[in-house]
Amino acid sequence: MSETSSNVSGATPASPEGPGWGVTLKLSADTVDDATPIFATAHVEGAVEWTDLEFRYRWSLDVEEDGPLHGSSGVYDDQSQWGFIPPQTGSFWLCVSVRHKHTGVVMEASRWVTVQEDESFRRPPLPSADAPSVVEVKDVSMIFNIASEQFNSLKEYFLALARHELKFKEFRALDHIDFEVKRGEAFGLVGTNGSGKSTMLKIIAGVLDASEGSCKVTGTIAPLIELGAGFDMDLTAKENIYLNGALLGYRKEFIDAHFQDIVEFAELQNFMDMPLKNYSSGMVARIAFSIATITEPDILIVDETLSVGDFLFQKKCERRIKELVQSDGVTVLLVSHSIDLVERICDRVCWIEKGKMRMVGPTDEVCDAYKRLAG
Amino acid sequence: MEEAPSTGVPKAQRTSREDAWYPAGERNASILRQLVSKDFKLKYRRSALGVAWSVLNPLMMMAVMAVVFSALAGRSAEGIPSFPLYIILGNVTFSLMSESTSQGMSSIIGAASLLKKVKIDRWVFPIEKVLFAVVNFVFSLIAVALVMGFVGISPTVYVLMLPLLVLYLGTFCAGLSLLLSAASVFFRDVMHLWGVVLTAWTYATPLFYAEEILPGWLRSLEVFNPMYHYVRYIRELVLYGRMPSLKLNLACAGCAVVSLAVGALVFRKNERKFILYI
Repeated sequence: MSETSSNVSGATPASPEGPGWGVTLKLSADTVDDATPIFATAHVEGAVEWTDLEFRYRWSLDVEEDGPLHGSSGVYDDQSQWGFIPPQTGSFWLCVSVRHKHTGVVMEASRWVTVQEDESFRRPPLPSADAPSVVEVKDVSMIFNIASEQFNSLKEYFLALARHELKFKEFRALDHIDFEVKRGEAFGLVGTNGSGKSTMLKIIAGVLDASEGSCKVTGTIAPLIELGAGFDMDLTAKENIYLNGALLGYRKEFIDAHFQDIVEFAELQNFMDMPLKNYSSGMVARIAFSIATITEPDILIVDETLSVGDFLFQKKCERRIKELVQSDGVTVLLVSHSIDLVERICDRVCWIEKGKMRMVGPTDEVCDAYKRLAG
Repeated sequence: MEEAPSTGVPKAQRTSREDAWYPAGERNASILRQLVSKDFKLKYRRSALGVAWSVLNPLMMMAVMAVVFSALAGRSAEGIPSFPLYIILGNVTFSLMSESTSQGMSSIIGAASLLKKVKIDRWVFPIEKVLFAVVNFVFSLIAVALVMGFVGISPTVYVLMLPLLVLYLGTFCAGLSLLLSAASVFFRDVMHLWGVVLTAWTYATPLFYAEEILPGWLRSLEVFNPMYHYVRYIRELVLYGRMPSLKLNLACAGCAVVSLAVGALVFRKNERKFILYI
């Protein structure tokens, strides 16, 4: 009996006598792209009832067992198939342990899989001139009256009024910004800290009104700006999903139907009835991200949010955003002072510096100029 | 690529946009629903008696006041069929106003983090607090019913007009909340001041004393106290079991309309500037 299992490639009997059955591991592919999940399936042969078996999967980078990165599917369960999303490129060792519920015998099988650089992702092509625009920023200026922000009480206000000090100093956060974003584009906004990127984004998101000029936006917006705004820490995760969904404008039936998807993407199945205040900030961000990206908005606004969560989740987020970038209907606006992500994802970029528009055009041109600034 | 189960990666593409998003009008309704249910859950979370407090609280307040003020009222309360019922009606009506305005006042500042990131109609927040106070008011009507049973006053057909009172008073509170929430964004002083105003208003309204004890000049001033009209209205319906006069109806409706008009106007004129101050 033990011969059966050793004849099959990759099978390793865990018990020397052999329990009368053996296991092999099948993979959806031996070589995959970075962005693709791998499906591992345990195949069991021999005299054993399928329902008596439980499965557990482990993975490790570069070496068997405890590589520099490793993990598992969790505890033993009835799922003979497991979807594994590699966190990076490289050689991964995948191993399944199959345990007999009654005898306690464990059989293992392992395989190697190579994960390559994702070649499939392409930045969206430059839009044609007649493509419909979803965001039209026309000659937008934003002027803050610096003094006006400092009155927090009536007394201060009237004192200043009496002293005729109510003249405001003007501060131009944005100065005649002008660009257009076409449908299906991935548009980047770059600039150093305090350059006005976030102000521009707030104007596009509709929370701030421009002092001069106009900003026309067509379609629904899903903002990924500071994940978790609108969460109530005393509510459970489940209640927060419904509350946040409503704030984003989702239908209740839609959240009902996709609740499981949201939870699965966030990988927080076991924590749904826990108040959010007991969550770590990374867990909160996971939930927020999966709510905001569960459907295809017309416009997805992404503001430095990929720096949350652990690296596995960051990878997942980036993959999800790329997925949205590649679907035709979705326009992605990406704001970042890290040029890296912008270069990978965007087709066109606008560079704002000290409130003034320095450049707008194809990614490579603008990014090269921006990098030259950094030296 | 092959389709495989349990990938952990949801395929959002399956949903069309119309299925996912509410059109603008329904969206606000759904936000209001979710916010009210949130407030409701949070109010009673971790309390052993939970929602029963909505009934118990007005009952206990009434008991305390009835004991204290029956003695003080002396002969002035003689014309009142039941002094405890008189007190609880005044209290629950007044607290609908005080709760909704004090909560509504800080609602915009409280929603600051949200308003800075997501485009949401700003009036939703003060109005939600009014709706929440109305929900609580409805629960406290159970306490009123219990008191009625206890003191042996049976309801007349006019209690069916209670929704009209809720409409009048709710509108009045909505206007006031809009006004206060806008004012408090620019001047936080308002938040401290309003507590004092509410206390003064409580004493100025005949909640736990018969209006007969007021000196003549003060009594004639009550005409300008909107809460005086609303409290009288509910007492007409429940305590005396009679139709409120047309004059009283007009007074209640008038206060509501003026309040809403002023509140909405001030709110609309200033709401675009909120984000600079929160």
